[in-house]
Amino acid sequence: MENKIKIGIIGAGRMGITHYSIINSHPKVEIIGIVEPSPLIKSFFSKYIPGISVYKEFEEFFQKTPLDAILVCTPPHINYQIIKKAYKLGTHVFVEKPFSTNTNNARELDHLFTSGCLINQVGYVNRFNDVFCKVKEFIENDVIGDIIRFKSEMFSFTITKQEEGSGWRMSRENGGGAVYEMASHAIDLVCYFIGKPQKVIGSTLTQIYSKNVEDAVSSTFLYENGISGTIYVNWSDESYRKPTNKVEIFGSKGKLLADQHSLKIFLKGKNKKYNLNDGWNTLYITDIFKSVPFYVRGNEFTRQLYHFVDSIIDKSIPSVCSFKDGLETLEVIDQIFNDYEVNQI
Amino acid sequence: MIEIDKIVFGDNQFFGINHMSQEKAQQLAEKFHQIENIFKVYDIAIKAGINAIMLNSNEKAKVICEHFKTNEKKYGYLNWYPSIPYPHKYSNLVAEKGIFPAINEVLFKNNNAKGVADFLVKGGTALLTKDAIKMMQMLIDTEMKMFKGLNIKVVFLQNIVTDLLLGFNIKLVFEEYCNYIRKKYKALPGLITQNLPWLLNKLSEWDIHEVVVCSSFNKIGYLMSPDVQSYIEVTSKNNSGDYQIMAMSTLASGAIVPKEAYAFINEQNIQSVVFGASSEKHIKETINLINPREKLNLSSLN
Repeated sequence: MENKIKIGIIGAGRMGITHYSIINSHPKVEIIGIVEPSPLIKSFFSKYIPGISVYKEFEEFFQKTPLDAILVCTPPHINYQIIKKAYKLGTHVFVEKPFSTNTNNARELDHLFTSGCLINQVGYVNRFNDVFCKVKEFIENDVIGDIIRFKSEMFSFTITKQEEGSGWRMSRENGGGAVYEMASHAIDLVCYFIGKPQKVIGSTLTQIYSKNVEDAVSSTFLYENGISGTIYVNWSDESYRKPTNKVEIFGSKGKLLADQHSLKIFLKGKNKKYNLNDGWNTLYITDIFKSVPFYVRGNEFTRQLYHFVDSIIDKSIPSVCSFKDGLETLEVIDQIFNDYEVNQI
Repeated sequence: MIEIDKIVFGDNQFFGINHMSQEKAQQLAEKFHQIENIFKVYDIAIKAGINAIMLNSNEKAKVICEHFKTNEKKYGYLNWYPSIPYPHKYSNLVAEKGIFPAINEVLFKNNNAKGVADFLVKGGTALLTKDAIKMMQMLIDTEMKMFKGLNIKVVFLQNIVTDLLLGFNIKLVFEEYCNYIRKKYKALPGLITQNLPWLLNKLSEWDIHEVVVCSSFNKIGYLMSPDVQSYIEVTSKNNSGDYQIMAMSTLASGAIVPKEAYAFINEQNIQSVVFGASSEKHIKETINLINPREKLNLSSLN
């Protein structure tokens, strides 16, 4: 038992509960306790999982129990104080996206964790999706040549009726709205595949059902090397049964279109290494998936958390989505908000 | 344990679900927008020898259940395998409102006055949330309402719920689910999972028996954690008196051609296959390919 990684979970909402189930399957992990103010969760745990302590405040939890790592699944505006305290105690941190709503705080945390050699990861789960992993591999291996244009979109049927405007998701300061909640994924994929843009123009924020936050966002990203592209995200689109990310990248040797389940590539010439023909090629998830040891919500969710734990055990494993990566997305988000505020009519 | 049907007709094809391609899923959703097109496919399947149907408790399923109930003379002999809940209803609500408000909304919105009164008798929100088992029973009843009046053979818990609970490692919840389904619905408890070896080991460790377990089972190991070899091993040692195994995703969403897929499936120690298809050709072809040696029993199993 003494060799197991001792983990605490901060916040037992939807993601906290999912992460609990997944990480509890890891043979080298022991969940020590959770922090959750809801009395309902507390009574559930004390009745059905009495071995797990439930704390109302993270300070008390940290004080009472030595931990190797925490999973932070709280509303983003309160993450900073939790993660900073974890740093002081030398605790590795996985934090749900969008990491923070304050870019300066995120920058400070990135600096602390990087210089303190503590494992730090942000939950941009698409980076662990089988198809998007393949897209990354193809780009790095020059399959579509130099990137010229791109499009990154995300659609879901999340906010479906007029909102009362209550709850943390309904306030941008607290991390609510389609930009922090969903567009962050689309922006992160851009940063992952292409890099962080130097300039953001033409941003629009649209309300469909929400009163205080946006339900749709679009923007154009510009790069010094001439690359440009757009993002478009809508979380009130009824035509999508499941949240879906779509990426289209046009390069000098061809283009690729990808979502979480399939990948289409058009090539100007054959690619022998990957056995791709000139013209159209289709790869389905069934062609490229890699199984995970325990499945709850998709391979990527398991792979993401196992990567975090494995990185703690073996420090030489390269990071896939660090605080620095999370910070880049926040910087782009700031630019979008700023661009919209300055230029709106 | 009562023997389950060897071939069960599934429903993913009707509801825009295709794990391989969202484009294909959309095409199917368009085709089956007209509910009559769904009924036509059921008639083709029934004519081809199907007498067992698996159906997820989504909004469209209500209309489907009504259709079969109102034509009882024609369809009364069919065996039903409901799967609950409809996960997307919950996942959107939970994303929007949080877990407990979402559960409350489902319970109150979907129950009539009597339902709400029963709910209050059972303890109301405050007590209910302190008693997850009672809450689970209420949710099961809400989801099962549409199937009332049909011959229910197995009630399956969807994999998103099964696997989430499996990760939490709570014996009591599984035990109570199985007991409740047996007692209240006089049916076999069923669990859908993407972690078959893990679940079977746990059920056996917890001493929970006489359960139907449905899991993806295909040659390429798609949606099979940890891997195909573990599935083959665990099922080969399985006693079907304890756990009857039903295979789903046998074609891996179309990645494997049927002949090859069922040549593999027929070699496995599994008791049943659930498949979905929407053309007469594919339905007949699949029925012919599944476990040919035992096919003769198909129509005598009621």
